[in-house]
Amino acid sequence: MLKSADGTLTAQSQPGGGLERWAERHLRYLMLAPTVSILLALTIFPSLYMFYAAVHRISPNPDLPWEFVGVGNFARLLSDAQFHVALRNTIVFTVVAVTVEFLLGLGLALLLDKYIRRLTFLKTVLMIPMMLPPIAVAITWKLIYEPQFGVLNEIMYRLGLPLQAWAGDVNLAMFSIIVADVWQWTPFIFLLMLAGLASLPVEPYEAAAIDGASSWRQFWDLTLPFLKPVIAIALLLRVMDALRLFDLVFILTGGGPADRTKVLSLYIYQVAYRFADPGYAAAISLFVLFVTIVFSTWFMKRMRLAD
Amino acid sequence: MVRKLFLTLAAAASALAISGAAWADITVLVPSGSEGDGLRAAAADYAKMKGTKVETVQAPYANVFEQAANAGATKSGVFDIVLMDDPWIPFFAENGHLEDLTPYFKNAGLEGPDNDFLSKSLAICRNPYNSGPYVCLPYVGNAQMFFYDAAKYKEAGVEAPKTWDDVLKASKALTEGGGGRYFGYVFRGGQGNPVVADFMPIFWSYGADLFNADRSKVTIDTPEGAAAMKMFMALRDVSPKGVESYNANEVGTALAAGTSASSINWPNWVATFEDPSQSKMVGKISYTAIPAGTKPGSSEIGHWTMGIMSASKNKQEAFDFMLWATSPEQIKISAERGNPPVRASVFTDPELTKQEKFRHYPVLMEAIQASTPRPRHPKWPEIENAFGIELSKAVAGTITPEEALKNSQTAVEQITGLK
Repeated sequence: MLKSADGTLTAQSQPGGGLERWAERHLRYLMLAPTVSILLALTIFPSLYMFYAAVHRISPNPDLPWEFVGVGNFARLLSDAQFHVALRNTIVFTVVAVTVEFLLGLGLALLLDKYIRRLTFLKTVLMIPMMLPPIAVAITWKLIYEPQFGVLNEIMYRLGLPLQAWAGDVNLAMFSIIVADVWQWTPFIFLLMLAGLASLPVEPYEAAAIDGASSWRQFWDLTLPFLKPVIAIALLLRVMDALRLFDLVFILTGGGPADRTKVLSLYIYQVAYRFADPGYAAAISLFVLFVTIVFSTWFMKRMRLAD
Repeated sequence: MVRKLFLTLAAAASALAISGAAWADITVLVPSGSEGDGLRAAAADYAKMKGTKVETVQAPYANVFEQAANAGATKSGVFDIVLMDDPWIPFFAENGHLEDLTPYFKNAGLEGPDNDFLSKSLAICRNPYNSGPYVCLPYVGNAQMFFYDAAKYKEAGVEAPKTWDDVLKASKALTEGGGGRYFGYVFRGGQGNPVVADFMPIFWSYGADLFNADRSKVTIDTPEGAAAMKMFMALRDVSPKGVESYNANEVGTALAAGTSASSINWPNWVATFEDPSQSKMVGKISYTAIPAGTKPGSSEIGHWTMGIMSASKNKQEAFDFMLWATSPEQIKISAERGNPPVRASVFTDPELTKQEKFRHYPVLMEAIQASTPRPRHPKWPEIENAFGIELSKAVAGTITPEEALKNSQTAVEQITGLK
């Protein structure tokens, strides 16, 4: 601390002096600055860059200028057969996987909530798949599905059943990916549904029971309407996640066999990095973003209207 | 207190970033597996001998291409050298990512690489193929060979397969007698690079090719292509179920475990097959040239080559390292580490050839000299993807072989703009 000749404190050294006072006044901005900087660098800038890239043809040769093509990259979507295949596969995967996960997750939650409410250990075990890294899940399932040495075919062999190619068979590949995804993400739906069920009021059920309503009636007329907000959030999150499926397909099938499991995220990755065409990849990414936003908005509105 | 902590952390982070950037004199991007491991070991030796710090960045096969392409497109200079699979060379060279090595050879008082390198190994390092300037140096001498269990083939009535008909005859008999657990043939049927790599030698051995000689016309859908496809489908029928998803690991495991009798494969698998800790087939697998169809058989060349990135800031140091790493002494050390050589003197070195684990060297040297490169086109990754999808569909049986050829012809014409 600085002192003047007469022993009094100087202005700079007093509490609340120049720099410190300025810092106090702008503390909120200083505290926000790191987060905002990271957001700008990792989200805002790449998003704007993607819009810019989507209207250009970008050569892998850095000495060639970017060529403005307007909506040219978006027009390519109409005639690109591989994009159509990837879009169809993504829709099939999303609809089937999310539906199965929802039904299983809800069923398990109802079962555990009603009959085995105290088995917390079982609930914890059921949540383990969700906590594993997707890449670890994909590699584990690759080993399970391995046609010659995988455990699944070993079981089939011992049971005298025909061996299957699982991830390698055109008719089974998508099914195999859906099974792995259902195994990993059903616990997510289960967890949300369980939380929803735990927060339901007791009185309406008591009243319904007095009125002689069956269990099914109570489920249909009370549980489902009460759970609707939770169901909406669970489905929305799962659909958004399913639309960007990548890890499982990349590891299990690479999009094959015969393009049967090529999904949009994988195709975007291939176009951007394997075919070195980032402009077109940006256009496909924007399309996926557009579909996701449109679906989310429609879905949210519909749920609110229904309420 | 908190402010001091932040300042200390910031200073430490900056120091780390600066020291990280300054740590290496040259940085080399290499693939995972024996090829990358070999060069990484050589880099460590070089650092000890010459005092030049060489950092190696190792990535899975596909990511090496992606990272190098990204570094080239952004002129980041993050890598000085990239160890490339040879079909990538036209993409990197024609997009200005690779340095022309001519002036570096001149500075070193050399006209170019010496004559001890195999001619086919050098041809792929020039762009255009075998005529343009050198843009890389060969390091790992990969070319496909035909691997087979000679005892099983003998049981099936084939002494040594010379033609694809011989292979089919033996494989059919072995698969029929295998009870669904043993197969005569196995191949990489996975969509994209795997299925294309294992189809091309058959394609060539029936006189077919993707383009005509001057690369002005796509020539996939031809009678020669149809003959090759017919044989490929016949081989599929005697291969394990699920072969349409097989990659190198599945094929290698099938041979090492003794559940399949034969396949086209790369020479770096020899070390695995001859290692008792990884293989049940030690000493039992024979190596021979790619069988003939209606024309002599030809291997697909798949060399790993070192090129200097144009954006490198340490080009001379990078060239010095490449010259050292591809010298006869270093290629011999690399061979002892499990990587096939690219020099005649190493292929014929008695110290190596007398060892059991190098018994395939005469066949491999012959295979390289009789090899064919994948079509030299800057859009090869896209061409390979399109061709690989149609082949995968044919292998999976969702389209006919004829449709696969027709669709491939159309797709490659669209990609290249050729008719």
